[in-house]
Amino acid sequence: MKQVSGKRRVCGNTALIIGLALLAMQVVAIVFAPWIAPYSPETADPINALQQPSSSHLFGTDVSGMDIFSRVVFATRINLLISVTAVAIAFVIGVPIGLAIGYYKGWLGSLAMRLFDFIQSFPVFVLGMVLVSVMGQEIWNVAIVLAVLFTPVFARLIRAEVLSLRDRPFIAAARCSGATDRTIMFQHILPNALTPAIVQISISIGMAILLTAGLSFVGAGVRMPTPEWGLMVSNGAQQMILGIWWVALFPGLAIVFSVLTFALLGDAAKQMFDPQTRSTS
Amino acid sequence: MTKVNQPLLEVRNLSVGFSDGAHSLALQHVGFSLKKGEILGIVGETGAGKSLLARAIIDMLPGDGRIVEGEILVNGHAISKMTAEQRRGYRGGEVALIGTNAKSLLDPVVNVGEQIARILRAHRGINNKDAWREAIRLFEQVGIVDPHRRAHAYPHELSGGMAQRVVIAMALIAQPKILLADDATLGLDATIQLQVLDLLVEKCRELGLAVVLITHDLGIVASYCDRVGIMKSGRLLELETIRSFLNDGPKHPYSQELLDAARVRPLPMGYDQAQNGSQAPPLLEVIDLVKTFHVEGSSEPVRAVDHVSLTIRKGETLALVGESGSGKTTTGQCIVRLLQSDSGSIRFDGTETLSLPDRQFRDVRRRMQMVFQEPYVALNPRWRVRDLVAEPLKLGERLTRAEKQTRVMELLDLVGIASVKADAYPHELTAGEQKRVGVARALAIRPDFVIFDEPTTALDIRVRAQIIDLVRDLQKRMGLSALFITHDLNSVRSLAHYVAVMRHGKIIEQGPTEEIFANPKQAYTRKLLDAELPIEARAEASTPILQTEQQL
Amino acid sequence: MRLSISLRSLPRPLRIVLARLTILVPQMFGVLLATFLLIRLLPGDPALLMLGNMATPEQILSLRERLGLNGSIWSQFTSYLSTVVHGDLGTSMFTSNPVVVDLLDRVPATLELITYTMILTITVSVTLAVVAVTKPKGVIARFSKVYGLAAGAVPDFWVGLLLIYFLFNVAGIAPAPFGRLDPTLSAPPVVTGFLTIDTLLAGDTAAFASAVGRLCLPVITLVIVNAGALMKMTQMVFADNYRSEFVRHARASGLCEWQLVRIALRNSLPPIITMAGFLFGFLLGAAVLVETIFAWGGLGQYAVSAVMNSDYPALQGFVLVAAAFILIVYTVVDVLYGIADPRIQV
Repeated sequence: MKQVSGKRRVCGNTALIIGLALLAMQVVAIVFAPWIAPYSPETADPINALQQPSSSHLFGTDVSGMDIFSRVVFATRINLLISVTAVAIAFVIGVPIGLAIGYYKGWLGSLAMRLFDFIQSFPVFVLGMVLVSVMGQEIWNVAIVLAVLFTPVFARLIRAEVLSLRDRPFIAAARCSGATDRTIMFQHILPNALTPAIVQISISIGMAILLTAGLSFVGAGVRMPTPEWGLMVSNGAQQMILGIWWVALFPGLAIVFSVLTFALLGDAAKQMFDPQTRSTS
Repeated sequence: MTKVNQPLLEVRNLSVGFSDGAHSLALQHVGFSLKKGEILGIVGETGAGKSLLARAIIDMLPGDGRIVEGEILVNGHAISKMTAEQRRGYRGGEVALIGTNAKSLLDPVVNVGEQIARILRAHRGINNKDAWREAIRLFEQVGIVDPHRRAHAYPHELSGGMAQRVVIAMALIAQPKILLADDATLGLDATIQLQVLDLLVEKCRELGLAVVLITHDLGIVASYCDRVGIMKSGRLLELETIRSFLNDGPKHPYSQELLDAARVRPLPMGYDQAQNGSQAPPLLEVIDLVKTFHVEGSSEPVRAVDHVSLTIRKGETLALVGESGSGKTTTGQCIVRLLQSDSGSIRFDGTETLSLPDRQFRDVRRRMQMVFQEPYVALNPRWRVRDLVAEPLKLGERLTRAEKQTRVMELLDLVGIASVKADAYPHELTAGEQKRVGVARALAIRPDFVIFDEPTTALDIRVRAQIIDLVRDLQKRMGLSALFITHDLNSVRSLAHYVAVMRHGKIIEQGPTEEIFANPKQAYTRKLLDAELPIEARAEASTPILQTEQQL
Repeated sequence: MRLSISLRSLPRPLRIVLARLTILVPQMFGVLLATFLLIRLLPGDPALLMLGNMATPEQILSLRERLGLNGSIWSQFTSYLSTVVHGDLGTSMFTSNPVVVDLLDRVPATLELITYTMILTITVSVTLAVVAVTKPKGVIARFSKVYGLAAGAVPDFWVGLLLIYFLFNVAGIAPAPFGRLDPTLSAPPVVTGFLTIDTLLAGDTAAFASAVGRLCLPVITLVIVNAGALMKMTQMVFADNYRSEFVRHARASGLCEWQLVRIALRNSLPPIITMAGFLFGFLLGAAVLVETIFAWGGLGQYAVSAVMNSDYPALQGFVLVAAAFILIVYTVVDVLYGIADPRIQV
């Protein structure tokens, strides 16, 4: 038995180590972008358009001659900024809502749940596209729309946990020991309800990166010449059919690595919390 | 035809180990044999390896467990030499297993008739219609009323006892020769447990099956088994006929310990009662308490507590007994105001508490505490023992950090928990320790009155005895008044001065413990008492000669 | 009273369908209200959005008049409701066709894409999940672990582009990623709108082959990206059931391995149905991206052009169709769930 849990821990650790390493790379890219990138990310150079990857242009150049490597590095800032902000807002708003509507059941809670049902039953991408286009294609609008789309996810997760926790005997026991509503909500229920939401942060950031890129890809997100991964893939889409692969390949890879980072961190978090949640149930 | 004297089941020097590094073997050199028509009881506490033994016999060791040494022979054939297809036929065909919690053993999305029929089809090449006819015939035999209709029911539509009958039918359908019952009646109400066990044993005797009855309840063994085996940490310590085990006494000290733990303690004598305490003013007085629930899908409200009245004086313990769903826990929760009562009156030390606003009820809470049923789920999994025990201290006067600390240590000492465990989390404690933490929490602010909700349920024999002794000790030392909610009649005799019997939300009979046990007036009370499987009574019944001697 | 008694005598599946259909009407109304509010309550004047910043006040005023934007919210909603009920979703500003006509034209293309994707996704993910659970040390189990992690991280539009590059540009196996049918072939008469079926009905094998060929890349793209999530979920649910006490008990009763797998799978069905229904709706969004790449000419592309051109009626029409589609999918899911799980009360 001890061996098994040991193995699991090691497994969780490899996921954690790879995830943290990838995350560190991205943090470095964000902080030191101007020093890492050899060219300006937004300056066109039509003479050098569509250059193959070489020593002077590591990932080649795109149709207007911008250096793809530089743009990929700088895009880390935009993509992570949007995604992390969106998820942070969603978490900060969603968790208290979930806690409140889970603890005090009432018509307001039911109404909120119906609203969440509606938001969530829509394909995220379609709703995101419509909302961003109506609000205007600004970086912050993308972040706000994503936050709106993700808030129900957190509220729902917390609410479900709170609902299952509030009728647990230890809550009744706490009440018998003189705990007030506030103590019960914040000291007994919240710490026990937070685990799935914390795991979800990581997963949601990954989804946000994919959504941001997708929105930009169809032209409903960030606009040129801002360096953004989805937009860059979109720029290379036409060339891909002609056999010019590098324009779309590298920003796509960047998306994969970035999303994978958060998937790995999410898995690691889940495994770290798992033994405890398992023995709880 | 097999030879008459050849054992049906023979377990020879069986050792089972797990390959993932556990150094000690999970089963060590277990050996016994079983003849046709014989019932063997295997008793042991959690982790003794009883279930593993059953799994080994039916050739379904969990995970990467494997037989390290020894052999299991059925009718003289070793299971290890069987082919995969033979083993499949052997499971269910030769040996059948009945497990705990029948409802979880049934496929939830298939009707029970089909579940039985498909087992028969797997063992015998017969068509669907014949298999169904056979299934319904067996349903009738295991005492299922209206078998044709019930066969089309889904498991969630059955009661626990009914589901257990279906599982018994499942076990018998392919006509096996050996039956393994692994804690088959755990969690059932006593009267239902009695019915199910009676049926099981009767059927097995009738069909001449060899039975291994695995349990942690010595009463069951004493009442139904021919022989008894005591297991501890993977070893079979002792194997005796039940008569010599009970009458001549066990040979192994551990077996003796178990037997002692299972016996009833003498009636508790509170000092008040000794001094004819019925003159003392009542500490808790409940009059005509009513609590109804609205069940979804039904317009009729359910009366969980129906005009309940009871009185507890200082230093007295009243036991509220009844089967699951009788409303005893609801009554307790109404008293400590975890539930709002509909009507009636609850007076605590002269104060009417039902009409008190929440803020003022805090003063009552300080004097009235509750010990919760399930030890683990009643403790916040993310708090340390230290903080759990300290939590109720908020109800009392402000204490400094150091005072709190001393008080917590005193309490842990009082309930017998080592001080090193103060920083442990609940999941790092044993079930007994968790229960003790629950008791320590309840006693933290020195209440006058404590409600114990099922304090002895789901505990191992010795742990249960320790908890009973702890409560007895508290009664004596602190003059504690208590309401003791339970279905475990054995512990009632050891703990309570008075008994109230509850059924369908009503108290149908109450009085001094001795009187109720000796001379029950209601038929239902008699039925409850009859369903108890005490060690002493059956030992006497199975040895009539001794019984007369004792009476002389 | 009498009604409830006669209802109770109906067979259970029928009861489930009836119960679900009765709440479909208010739900539909809710969807209409919500789509209306969604577009109306967002910041920005729709008339201004449509005409752009260069519009004169007179133009804006006349458009507002035309769109019925001058009354109260409630009167606007009722007028919107009555036009929708009459099958009028307005005229697209971009194509100048009635939006209803545009939508009806494009729905089959998207539906065909999604349907084949669904069938393949469910088959692949359930198979992988079952094998991975029953043979936990096998190659499939290890593959499913890596795939489950990677599939969720890959953007579908990028996978589509890679497939185009490798299979069309480099290997030359796949047909050109332009539309549903080779432009040299003539489209079959419309019966179902599904080209794969209509070409067969017309007996045109060349067109059938072309339609299937063109479907391959977009479907594979969507399956690769989306099967991972369904597989992970199925694996979890199936593993829980496969290791459950009732399957263990069935094994102890002598049932054979394939029967045990069947029992566990049957018990996993309800959550799989829910998840598949959710995926069906999700694919509508994913199709937007994939249709753009493969010039599919379906709803997704229409939505993108509506967004790009601020084609307000088209956008509203699309949102309404999407919502109705999802509502229908969820209704079917609820009915199937009720049939699959006898514990659900009707």
